Parts: sequence; structure tokens; C-alpha cells
Amino acid sequence: MRLWIPAIRALAVLVFFACWELFPRLGLVNPALLPTFSEVVSTLWGLLSRPKVQDSIFITAAEVLLAFAVAIPVGTILGVIIAENQYIGAIFRPILFYVFSIPKSIFLPMFILVFGISFTQKVAYAAFTTTFVVLMSAAACVESVKEEFLLVARSYGATRMQLLMRVYLPSMLPMLLEAIRIAMIFNFTGVMIAEMYASRTGIGHLIAGWGENFQMPQLFAGILLLSIIAIIFNESIRILEERFSTWRTT
Amino acid sequence: MLAALLCAWQLLPATGLVPELFLPALSKTLAVLFSDWKIYGVALLVTLGEVVLAMVIACGGGIACGAVVGGFSLLRTIFLPIFSSLYAIPIVILYPVLTAWLGVGPQSKVVFAGVYAFFPVMLSTAAGIRTIDPQYLLVARSMGASLTQQVMRVIIPAALPTVFTGLRLGGALAIIGVVVAEMLTAAAGIGYLVTLNRTILDSPRVFAALLMILVLSVAYDMLARRLEARLLKWVPQRQSPMGPRTGLNTATTATAA
Amino acid sequence: MENDVTSGPSRDYALQTKGLTHIYRGVQGEVQALSDINLVVEAGKFVVIVGPSGCGKTSLLMMMAGLRQQTSGELLCLGRPMDKPDPSRVGVVFQEASLYPWLTATENVAFPLSIRGDDKAASRQRAREMLALVGLNGFEERFPHELSGGMKQRVSIARGLAQDPPVLLMDEPFAALDEQTRMTMGHELLRIWSTTSKTVVFITHSLTEAVYLADEVYVMSARPGRLIDHVEVNLPRPRTYEMMATEQFGMLRERIWQQIRMGH
Repeated sequence: MRLWIPAIRALAVLVFFACWELFPRLGLVNPALLPTFSEVVSTLWGLLSRPKVQDSIFITAAEVLLAFAVAIPVGTILGVIIAENQYIGAIFRPILFYVFSIPKSIFLPMFILVFGISFTQKVAYAAFTTTFVVLMSAAACVESVKEEFLLVARSYGATRMQLLMRVYLPSMLPMLLEAIRIAMIFNFTGVMIAEMYASRTGIGHLIAGWGENFQMPQLFAGILLLSIIAIIFNESIRILEERFSTWRTT
Repeated sequence: MLAALLCAWQLLPATGLVPELFLPALSKTLAVLFSDWKIYGVALLVTLGEVVLAMVIACGGGIACGAVVGGFSLLRTIFLPIFSSLYAIPIVILYPVLTAWLGVGPQSKVVFAGVYAFFPVMLSTAAGIRTIDPQYLLVARSMGASLTQQVMRVIIPAALPTVFTGLRLGGALAIIGVVVAEMLTAAAGIGYLVTLNRTILDSPRVFAALLMILVLSVAYDMLARRLEARLLKWVPQRQSPMGPRTGLNTATTATAA
Repeated sequence: MENDVTSGPSRDYALQTKGLTHIYRGVQGEVQALSDINLVVEAGKFVVIVGPSGCGKTSLLMMMAGLRQQTSGELLCLGRPMDKPDPSRVGVVFQEASLYPWLTATENVAFPLSIRGDDKAASRQRAREMLALVGLNGFEERFPHELSGGMKQRVSIARGLAQDPPVLLMDEPFAALDEQTRMTMGHELLRIWSTTSKTVVFITHSLTEAVYLADEVYVMSARPGRLIDHVEVNLPRPRTYEMMATEQFGMLRERIWQQIRMGH
């Protein structure tokens, strides 16, 4: 009885792509505005072999990874400090509370003013945005380690190092993975916004250009490519998450 | 703390520690805001209009869909994984499609922000609906309550906290969505003013616009929370944003964009 | 009502079941929850049903409340079947107080009255009276999240009494409370009962509670639930805590416990 649920999901996805293929073909939707799925795929195939596109992919990937590499350590350290240290936490929590409701994209012009339109600017902006998410997740992770677990370990004389490795880490691991997954989503978004806003390179820039010139097949091809990459990464981390989450009750 | 930041904003550029290009003095920013208030005022109205319409889509649709999906566990089981996976895609990349289809005017912004805010609101509502104690209905039934009575007197009040969260979240995200869209491609609105003045390197004007956005989002958040606190006096307090909640829920993470 | 070995000369009992059986479809096929339950509850009595977890006592209560229908057999309340909830005959107090958090204590107690369509002022008045009866003077305008577990259950009891039904069903109402509160609440309940002359059917899996509170105890076996004993508790009323230390109390407890153990 439970097998037909994934089947329905698969069916829903198929229906989606079927519509994408058929509606423009049948003229239900203007094919100039929405190219058929097959056309988009073949355009994508063609694009991937062009050096300009390959360069852009490379640059975007580099930005994403670099921003991620900066944001994760910085955000984690700050998040842990805020969670662990009462005083610092008390000072900063209210501020961060409000910062979260601000659209971070308003800081983009500032980064452009400081760094100009460049690789560095995009990485800096993405890292900046992502740091906040990582910070919040790290703090939540640390706080999620139950007091009781720590109490038990300490009562057996565990050192700080042992506490860290044998209580904190295993307890936080699933949540850390989830945090990484979500951080990457925001990181990716940040890079995309930066590239689409003001950039001379990168996939976001290409997409913005294609949009402006009404090159719809290319535009959709770009979107498709990015979606596939985003989903692949997301699901890979999710699989890892599940492997390490078997003991979770929340 | 706020006072300290404001002082820094004034002093750092004024004393030349930070170049005026990067951070114009608070006084200059405010001056420009006052002198050009008509321009900023009109832009603000445009932006607000787009936000309101986007909220209608996102909150109206999101809460309704969330209630339906959350209420029927079968729908949840089937569709939730799909939505979670789709969440990974930066929705911003769909914006050029919208400008191509709907032009550069407010329609593209409304649709973009509406869709942007829709999913988190729906997911948050679906999760919230599930927290309603099913026993409430059993109690009502045992008293002989009719179906209408059950819906009006039990389900709706029980769902209010969730609906309020959805509204607060939807508004915040709608603001973010509209601002991003306006900054990217627009002909009017506050975001547009940001981009316009940035390209001509008029920092005070840029920051004046940024300040407006800042005030708008903070004001909305504060207003929403105030309203929530006053109308929902009966909810046991669960305040802090980062903290007791063990788990990264969509509502808090979504606003980090 | 026909003459029957279990019921004596015909009259309307507060509650009566004949051959009550219930089978439902579980995840892995059919489950028999209740098997041939025959019991009578006379008006004004405090009857306790005790049994191990999962024996179907909650199902039985749900049927008495009209919230569930049996698969076969007869159930009569005050001479008529219960095919749907009827607050004019039966009031229910659930294990979880399930007070509506958006209503104050008074509003919660008045809720069944407003469902019935009573006048608002009269409802509030009655609600206050009920709250006074259960000993919650001064807490009328509190919200549930401001009340302790014991207080919440008191409000729940007041709510069950609001429509003044002749029969009150209680499904392990004190199960979520700590032992000391349980004892106090049990005592309180007897006080309330003695001033209102209602028929009470009380479900518990605590043997002490059963003997302490009841006039009669019905013992149920594990699933499928059958009635395996009917014990008359002849301890004098009003009951006192000291009675719990008497030999008679102990023997009654033992007897019930034996029955449950063997009924497995």
C-alpha cells in the first residue's frame, strides 16, 4: 500500500514535464515565451560545449565554493560563541533578531562600492549573507545538545575535549548536516543575486543577459542547469543526513 | 546599541576614517532624503503597493494551501518531499523569465515576490496546522457540537497562531522579494532608486534608499509581532528566535535571505 | 426491557450494556477490542472500570459517550441507545484536560452551554458556579497556560458538569498528574459527587484509585476486553485516606490485582 506514494510523486513530476513539452507544442502557450522542454534540453546540450558557458560555470562554482569556505568557519565560530557565552549572547541576540528580517540584498550596493564589480565582491557578499544563516544554525545546533547528555558525561569526569568529540559532535551531526544543506541554498542564492545584479561574468550574468534579450531557450536552459545542480547537491547532503539521523526523535 | 551604530554611521565617514563613497555620513543621507522626499515618497508607495499585492498571493494562497496540505496527511506525505527539494533552487533565477513575460513593471515584481514568499508560508502553515491537538474536536463532539460549530469555534481559533506566523513571514518575505526584484530590473520603486543612484555613484542617495528599506522591514516585523502579542495573549510564550527550538525550521531560516 | 439474569426487574438503569462487542480494522487486520460486555450501572452510583492498558476500556467509554458505535450488542443510557453524543444525558471528562487555550477558565466551562445556544449571561453564571464547586474561586479569568495540571483537570470536570447531565463519564482523568495531586483530586471528586448525586463511570488503571473511589468495580481482562469480575466495595462513605491502610482495602485491591493477572 505504501509503494504507490512514490509512484504518485513520480507521476506528478512527469505530468509537469509533459505539460512543459506539450503546452508550447500545441500552441496553448506561446512557444516564443515558453520553449518546449525538448528544445530547452537540446539548447542546454549545445551551450555546455561552448567555452564561454564553461568559463561562466567555472567562475560561478568558484564563487560558490569560496564563499561557502569562508562563511562556514566564520559563522560556526560566531554562532558557537553566541550560544555558549551568556554575555555576548545577551548583547547580540536582539540585534540579530532584527537583522534577520532585513533583506540582505540591500547590502549588495555597499559591497559594490567597496570592491567594485568583481569576483571578490561577489564572494564577499555571498559569504556575508551565508554567515548569518550559518551563525544561526550553529547556535541552534549547540543549544540542541541536551543538558542531560552533558551532565552525564561530566559526572564521569569527561574532559572538555572528550565532551566535544564524544557528546557534542555526535549529537549535533545530523543538525550540522542540515545546516550545511540550508547554508548552501542561501549561499547559492546569494551568488546568483550578486551575479544577476551587477557582474560581467558567471552564469547569473549570462541568465540575466539572456532574459534581457528574450533568448528564452537559453534562459530556460540556464535555469534548468542551475536547478539540476542545486537539487543534486541538496539531495546528496540529505542522504548523508538521513544516514546519520537514525537515532533522532525530533 | 542602536545609538552606538548611529553615531558610528555619522562619525566614521565624517572624520574620514571611512571614505564617503563607501559610507556617506548619516547627516548627508538624511539631508538628501528630506530634499528629495517626493521622489522617495512615490517610490515607497510603488514598493508598498507591490508588497501588498504579493502578500495577497503569498499569504492568501500559502495559508490556504498550507492548511489543506497540512490537514490531509496523505497530501503531505506525497508532496512535501517534492517541495523540500524544490526549495533548494534559488528562486531568483526565475526572475528574468518573469520580466520577459510580464515586462519591467510592477506585475513581474508582484508575481516574483508572491511566488518567493508562497512556499515558506505554505510549509510553515502546514507544519503549524499539524500541531493542533486532535482531541479538541473530540471534546467538541462530545458536547454535541455541529460541524459548523466545530469549524468556527474550535478549528479556526486553534489555527490562529499559525495563521499569524504565516502573515508575518509572508510579509517579511514579500518585502525581500520585491526589493530584490526592484534592484535587479525595474523602472520604479525603492530598489530601483538604489540601483539608479549606485550606477551614478551617488552614495548619499543610495543609502537614503537603503535606509528606507531597512526601516520598512524592521517596522513591519515589529508591527507584526506587536499585533501578534496583543491578539494572541493566550499563547504560552515561546519567544526567542535562536534558541529552544531544536531544529532549523523553515520560518526562521527563510528570512535570512 | 426484557427480564434478564443480569438486570433484574425492568427499570431504566443509568447505563446498561448487553452483549456489547466491538471489532475494528487495524493496520494488520481485524482487532477485537471488546467481547460480550454485560454491565449495569444504577443511577447515583460511582462505578469504576479497571483493567490493563489496551483492554478496550476507553473504547467502551467512547461508546457510552456516543462518540463511537459498537459492532454488535446493545448499549442503553437512561433507557435509550446512544447513537450520537447527547450532552443532556452524558458529560465526558477526558484524560487530557483538552481545555481550549484561547478561552479563559470560565469561557471553557461555558463552552458546552454556548454550543447548546444558551443565553450568554446565564452561561457565565452557571460556569462560575461550576468553577466554585470544583474549588477554583478566583481563577475564573485565567487562561489554561496559567493553570497547573490539577487545576486544568478541575476546569475539565467543571466543564463536564456544566450542562448538568445525569451521567458523568471520566476517562483516566488523573493519569497525567503526580501521585499526591491524584490523591487530592480523587478526594475532591468524591466531595463534588456527593453534592451533585450524579452517576459516575470512572476509568482507571490504578487499583488504589479504583477501590478508594468506587461503589462497584468492574474488572476487565486484556484484549479482547471481557468483564472478568464485579466487585462491590462496601467501605463506608465518606471515604477517608485512613481507609487505605485497612485490611479490607488491601483485600479488595488484592482481589482485583489477582483477577487482572490471571486474566492475561
